[in-house]
Amino acid sequence: MNGYGGNILRVNLSTGKITKTPTPVELARDYIGGRGFGAYFLFNEVPAGADPLGPENKLIVSSGPLAGLMIPGAGKCDFTCKSPLTGGYASASVGGLLTAEIKYAGLDSIILEGASAKPVYLVIDDDHIQLRDASALWGKGSITVEKILKDELGEEFQIACIGPAGENGVPYAHINHDYGRQAGRGGVGTVMGAKKLKAFAIRGTRAIPVADLDAYRQAGMALYKACKDSEGLGPWQNLGTTMVVSWCDEIGALPTRNFAAGSFAEGKTLYGPVIREQIVITDKGCFGCPSPCGKYSRMKRYGTRVEGPEYETIGMVGSNLGIADAQDVAQINFLCDEWGVDTISAGSTIAWAMECYEKGILTPADTDGLELKFGNVPAVFTLIEKIAKREGNLGALLAEGTKRAAQKIGKGSEQFAIQVKGMEQSAYATHNATAMLLAYMTADVGAHHNRAWAITYDLQVGRELVGADKVARVIWLQHVRPMFDTLGACRLQWVELNIDLEMYIPALEAITGVKRSWQDLELVSERIWNLTRLYWAREHKDFGRAWDMPSPRFYTEPPKTGTTAGQITKLEDVERMLDMYYAQRGWDANGLPKPETLERLGLANLVA
Amino acid sequence: MRLYADSARCSGCRACLVACSLNLFQENNPKKAALTILPHFPAPGVYEVKVCTQCGECAAVCPTNAIKQNARGAYYVEFAECTLCEACVPACPENVMFVRAGLADVAWKCDLCGDCIAVCGTNVLRLGEIAAA
Amino acid sequence: MTAQIKLLGILKSYVGNQSQIEVNAGNTVREAMRALNIPSELVALVLVNNTPQTKEYCLQAGDVVMLMAVVGGG
Repeated sequence: MNGYGGNILRVNLSTGKITKTPTPVELARDYIGGRGFGAYFLFNEVPAGADPLGPENKLIVSSGPLAGLMIPGAGKCDFTCKSPLTGGYASASVGGLLTAEIKYAGLDSIILEGASAKPVYLVIDDDHIQLRDASALWGKGSITVEKILKDELGEEFQIACIGPAGENGVPYAHINHDYGRQAGRGGVGTVMGAKKLKAFAIRGTRAIPVADLDAYRQAGMALYKACKDSEGLGPWQNLGTTMVVSWCDEIGALPTRNFAAGSFAEGKTLYGPVIREQIVITDKGCFGCPSPCGKYSRMKRYGTRVEGPEYETIGMVGSNLGIADAQDVAQINFLCDEWGVDTISAGSTIAWAMECYEKGILTPADTDGLELKFGNVPAVFTLIEKIAKREGNLGALLAEGTKRAAQKIGKGSEQFAIQVKGMEQSAYATHNATAMLLAYMTADVGAHHNRAWAITYDLQVGRELVGADKVARVIWLQHVRPMFDTLGACRLQWVELNIDLEMYIPALEAITGVKRSWQDLELVSERIWNLTRLYWAREHKDFGRAWDMPSPRFYTEPPKTGTTAGQITKLEDVERMLDMYYAQRGWDANGLPKPETLERLGLANLVA
Repeated sequence: MRLYADSARCSGCRACLVACSLNLFQENNPKKAALTILPHFPAPGVYEVKVCTQCGECAAVCPTNAIKQNARGAYYVEFAECTLCEACVPACPENVMFVRAGLADVAWKCDLCGDCIAVCGTNVLRLGEIAAA
Repeated sequence: MTAQIKLLGILKSYVGNQSQIEVNAGNTVREAMRALNIPSELVALVLVNNTPQTKEYCLQAGDVVMLMAVVGGG
C-alpha cells in the first residue's frame, strides 16, 4: 500500500507468538494511521473493563503515511493503550527516528499484547523478530539502557525503552527514545513495564513505496523550501519551545508554585536565550526536520547531559516548583528521563505535595523528613528517585499522581490537584485564558496541551470572552493538530513556520495515491475524537460532564501575584463553554455523542 | 566541486539521507544514501557528518573503470558496469563508498546532485571548490 | 534616524498586512508597538539584529527588529 509500511505486527508477550498481517485498506481509509490506528485497535481489541496493567491491555505503536518520507518533520510516532493514570484513553506522541524505522521495517503498527513472565526486550531487524532476555537490563535507567542496546545492536537500530518507574508501575511512566525524547503522557511506559518489556529495538532496510514519485519529490521539496524560506526559521531553530518561557511569564501563563500564579518573579533565568547561552550544546532534530526545536544540553555542575529542557519541562519542574536555575531544571529533567517518569506529571505531583507541605497538610512525618518547600532542589532530586522506586510513604503516595494522591490525603488538597480526568495539566496557567482552559477540559487524554493550543487566540479575541467562535476554534484545533499525529508528521512547521496546510494535500496524494482534502482529514479526526470519547464512556460507568471539569483553582482562586493577579474564570462560564462545546460537537448535555453524530461519523455500529 | 559539511550545525534529522536515496535509487530509503550521519550520544552529544570529498581514490582502484566523472565533476558509479568487487570500499578515506549486500547489487557514492543541500534546514551542507592540496 | 520593524505571521494583520514598517529610533520596542497598534502581549519574541531583546529595548538608528507571535505552542 503506497505510503505505508504495509503490515501490522503483533507480538504476544505471554506466549511469545509473533504474527504479521497486511494493513487493511479500509483501516487506512477510515483512520489513516498513527493515533487513528491506535484508537481503532484499542477500542476494538482491548476488552471493556480491562486492567490497564493486566495482559488484556495492549500497547499499540503506530506510524503514519507521511512518516519516514521526504516531508518536513515526518517523525511522529503514536503510543496508545488504556491509561493506568486515568483508566481512559492514553495516546502519547514521540518524535525522533523511531517512526521512520518502523516504516522501513515494513510496518505500520506494532501491537504489544499479553504480558511476559520475565523481563524481555524485543528486537525487530526487518523480518527477523525475536524476544530476548532482559534480566540484565531490568532496573537500569532509560538513557543507560538505550546506550547499552545501541552498543550491542548497532547505531542503525532505533530504541524505545523504559526506566525503573515503568517497571514499578508508576502510572505516569514514559517511554524513552533517542536519548531523551519521550512518549511521556498517560503511563504508556507503565503498560510496557507491566508487560515486562524493557525495550524494543528496530531496524528496517526497506524502501517505502509511493504512488507518484515525481509528484511526491516535487511536493516534498516545495515543503522544505517553504520551511527554509520562512522568516521564523532562525529564531525557532535557535530557541525551540523555550522561546515561549518569557512570553508565558509576561502574559501570566507560566505555571508558578503549583499554578498558584502565572508569572514567576524569579523566572528570568529560565528564559530561552539564557538556557541557550548557559547549557545548550547542540540542536537535536526529529526525523526530517528542517526546524529542529530539540536542544541538547550539558549541565557542568552535575556532569550530565540531557535532551531539553523543553518549555513544558521548564514550566513544570522549574517555575511550578519555584526553581529558577537552568542547570537545576535540566538536571531534574535528566533524572526524570533516566528514572523513567513524565516531567509534566512528576512536576505537577511534586508541586501539589509542596503546597500540601507549606499548608501543613503534609508534615515532616509524612515526607520521611524531607523539607518539601517550593524551591528545594535537592528534595526534588530525592523525590524523583523515591517516586520511581515507590520508596517510603511519600514515594508511594506521589507515585499515584495528583488525583489519587489528593483523594487519599483529602483535607481540601483536591482543590489544588491540577488535573483533568486524572491527568496532570501541562504548563499553561489558565486562570484567565478561557479557550485554553476549554482545551484542557476537553482534551481526549486529560489535561494536555497537544490537542488544542489556544492561548494566542485568547489574547487576540479577549481572554475572558466566552462564545461560540472560541469554542469552534478549540474544536477545529482538536481536529487539525492531532491529524498531524495521525499522519505521522509534526505540526510545528505549520504552526510556527506558517506553512500553508494546503501544501500537505498534494504531498499526501502523491504518496498514497488517494486525494484527500482537509475537510476530509478533519472528518477523520472527528471520527477518532468521538471514538475515544466512546472509549472513556465504556471504561468509566460514571463518565460524563463532571469528567470535563477543570481544577477548581481556575475558577475559585485568582492569583495573588503576576500579570493575572486578581483574575479568574467564572464557574458559570466554564459551564457555558461546556454547553456550547457539547452542542457544537453533537453531544448530549452529559457530553456523550448523540446517535446521529455517531451515524454521521460511521461509528453507529460500535454502540449496542 | 565537492560537498562540504559543517557537522556542528547538524541536528541529526536525516532529511539529507532520504533526499539522497531518492536521487540515487528513486527510493525512500536512507540506508541507501551516499552520506553518513554518526550520532555521538549521550556523550559528548554531537553529530558527525561524513561526505564524499571527490578525491577519486575509488575511481583509481576500480578494476572495471565503473566509477566515472559527470558534468559536475563528481565521481559517480555507472551501475551497469559495477561488478560489486568492493575494491572501492576500503579505498575511501571518508567511509562514504557504500556496498550493502541485500540492499543493492551495485556500489554507490555521492554524485553531487545537491538534493541533500536543498532539504537541510540548518545549512550543514554546501558545495564548494575543491581546495588545492 | 529610523529602525525597521519586520512582522511575522498573525502580527501582520494588525498593520494592514504589511510585513515591514519603518519607525523612528529613540523609542522602546514596546512604545513602537503601541504606536502601531500591535498588541504587545501577542509578541512572544523580539529580535534586534538577530539578538533576542526585551520589549524595553530602546531602538537605535539602523536596527532591524523582528517581532514574532507564537501561534501553536508546543
